[in-house]
Amino acid sequence: MPTLTMIGAINTALSEEMSRDERVVLFGEDVGKRGGVFLATEGLQQKFGPDRVLDSPLSEAAIIGAAVGMAAHGLRPVAEVQFADYVFPGIDQLFSQAAKLRYRSGGQFTAPMVVRMPTGGGVKGGHHHSQSPEAHFAHTGGLKVVVVSTPYDTKGLLKSAVRDDDPVIFMEPKRLYRAVKEEVPEDDYLIPIGKAALRREGTDITLVSYGGSMVETLKAAEEMASAGINPEVIDLRSVMPWDKEAVLNSVAKTGRLLMISEAPHTASIASEVTATVSEELFDQLLAPATRVTGFDIPYPYAQDKLYMPTVTRILNAAKRVLDY
Amino acid sequence: MIKDKTEFQPFTPEPIRVLSDEGEWVAPFELDLDDATLKRLYAEMVAARMLDEKLTILIRTGKTSFIAPHMGHEGAHVAIANAVQKGFDWLFPYYRDMGLALAMGVPLVEIFGQMLGNAADPAKGRQMPSHTGSKALNIFTVGSAIASHVPPAAGAAISMKLRNTGQVTVCSFGDGATSEGDWHAGVNFAAVQGAPAVFVCENNRYAISVDLSHQTASHTIADKARAYGIPGYRVDGMDVLASYYVLKDVVERARTGHGTALVELEVYRYGPHSSADDDSRYRPKAEVEAAKKRDPIVRYRKFLEKQGLWDETAETELRARIAHDLDTALKQAEAAGEAPAEWMFEDVLSSRPWHLEEQRRVVLEELR
Repeated sequence: MPTLTMIGAINTALSEEMSRDERVVLFGEDVGKRGGVFLATEGLQQKFGPDRVLDSPLSEAAIIGAAVGMAAHGLRPVAEVQFADYVFPGIDQLFSQAAKLRYRSGGQFTAPMVVRMPTGGGVKGGHHHSQSPEAHFAHTGGLKVVVVSTPYDTKGLLKSAVRDDDPVIFMEPKRLYRAVKEEVPEDDYLIPIGKAALRREGTDITLVSYGGSMVETLKAAEEMASAGINPEVIDLRSVMPWDKEAVLNSVAKTGRLLMISEAPHTASIASEVTATVSEELFDQLLAPATRVTGFDIPYPYAQDKLYMPTVTRILNAAKRVLDY
Repeated sequence: MIKDKTEFQPFTPEPIRVLSDEGEWVAPFELDLDDATLKRLYAEMVAARMLDEKLTILIRTGKTSFIAPHMGHEGAHVAIANAVQKGFDWLFPYYRDMGLALAMGVPLVEIFGQMLGNAADPAKGRQMPSHTGSKALNIFTVGSAIASHVPPAAGAAISMKLRNTGQVTVCSFGDGATSEGDWHAGVNFAAVQGAPAVFVCENNRYAISVDLSHQTASHTIADKARAYGIPGYRVDGMDVLASYYVLKDVVERARTGHGTALVELEVYRYGPHSSADDDSRYRPKAEVEAAKKRDPIVRYRKFLEKQGLWDETAETELRARIAHDLDTALKQAEAAGEAPAEWMFEDVLSSRPWHLEEQRRVVLEELR
């Protein structure tokens, strides 16, 4: 079985989907000749030709908007936005067109499309190469939002996204692109959008996270385990829709929830998950459902690592929840 | 010269016209349309005008909540509809295109259903009135966000080129749209790909109250095409024949691999921007009256009469038939009843995830 990085898994998933379905086309800034600035689409233009892997103008509105029109016309476009921080010029296309096309036309027109984007901090990118804007997308009805954390999931979820009949925002934590390699089967396997993964079974506290923060969450879980605490760890993988059933089942068992995400604190996915758990499991909670998140400030350059939830910050919060 | 052998010339100093204000043929080429076509163009313009009048009655009687009057745009609407292959080519219209929708063949009952936002609306009452669409006719459902349909139009045209389908995308918008970033993004992407897209500006000189001199420093909208490396045609949009001839030419050029083009149809909006607007606050009545001297229907009727193709009897019969069709369709649409509340949670996504299921139950419980 080949071992792949997340970048390798993206490339493999796209290549397999393009071979499977000739309606799948890729485009975005630098995705063709250069193979993408992170090389996610390396070699695909040579393999599939310039009519299926297009270099687009430097315009996120054009990239996302054109994907809507291509999808409505019958293609299965996979658009790349070079950094999640640069999606904002394309937000009108995402929110006014992609998200609402099916609804506003009464189901007559649809936009089955994928918008891939590197997301999150940890690469010394300052505030225009480090943000985690998934809550904006989740807050707009009509979009699905996936945030991956492992190469294996990346292949299975990206293939699901390409085959999905709805617009899917596919967010790739850029600090994980080449951080780890793992075995990724050559089979054509799919991971369903909306299903979480149980990363560690435990009994004392439920740690829920997704994307880049899964790294620190799992490290914190290990440290807790060596201190005699047995945490359960859930990777949401999809944040819209998110797997409420998996989270509620786990918290019903442990009685404690700590939600970790590097996205800003207020009105976040972490807010949504903790609020839902508080609403639905109020009388089973042994401590308040608690969040460890990024901050409500522009992402700083100098304090790149300090912005994101650190292992120490996670452990401190977990202690408060456990000692409550 | 507006036309060189077979092709119309872009960037003409004056708008291209083939009919004078008095309905005389003034083009440097022979009229080559058959009588039936000539009469059909007229009938469709009158139908578009009478639809607009009917929509005004709907708003005045409280049957609808919003209209975007298109009176003055009828020549442009009928020309666009007749320049495309209906149901094969794709149309990306905007909200002042209800006359265009009618000329394209959207059934009147669907138009009224959309205006009423009731069960007769194929889009299930999801949007404000004057936002039409039809999958059957490849008419991309109108959204309100100005120029946001331009990049999708570019995408559809790129798809047509990549798959060599022989189709053309026609995308219409007002003059205000040309100031939006999305407009630039879409026109540029289509142009650089050489996609079969025809962008049509129905330039009525006003974006609500903002007149053209505050919208752009360009001398004409057509001039903007130069920056994208595509031809820009300036046409008298209240001359239905000129608009038809130029659009037909440009659409067929796009179909045969000549890439993207911009067509500016100079029209005038007789009514306010919408039923929520008071145009007396920003333009003198005399200006509106002056524009009506170029009226597309009056001018074209004079032309038809000179050709011996039209008279008062034909006029009376036509108007009676359209009035009957409008009344019948409106009654039919009204009879469909309210849009059911359950429709509220349909078509958000391809299937209903748990959170929408929960939210839907809240509404159903409330209504029980």
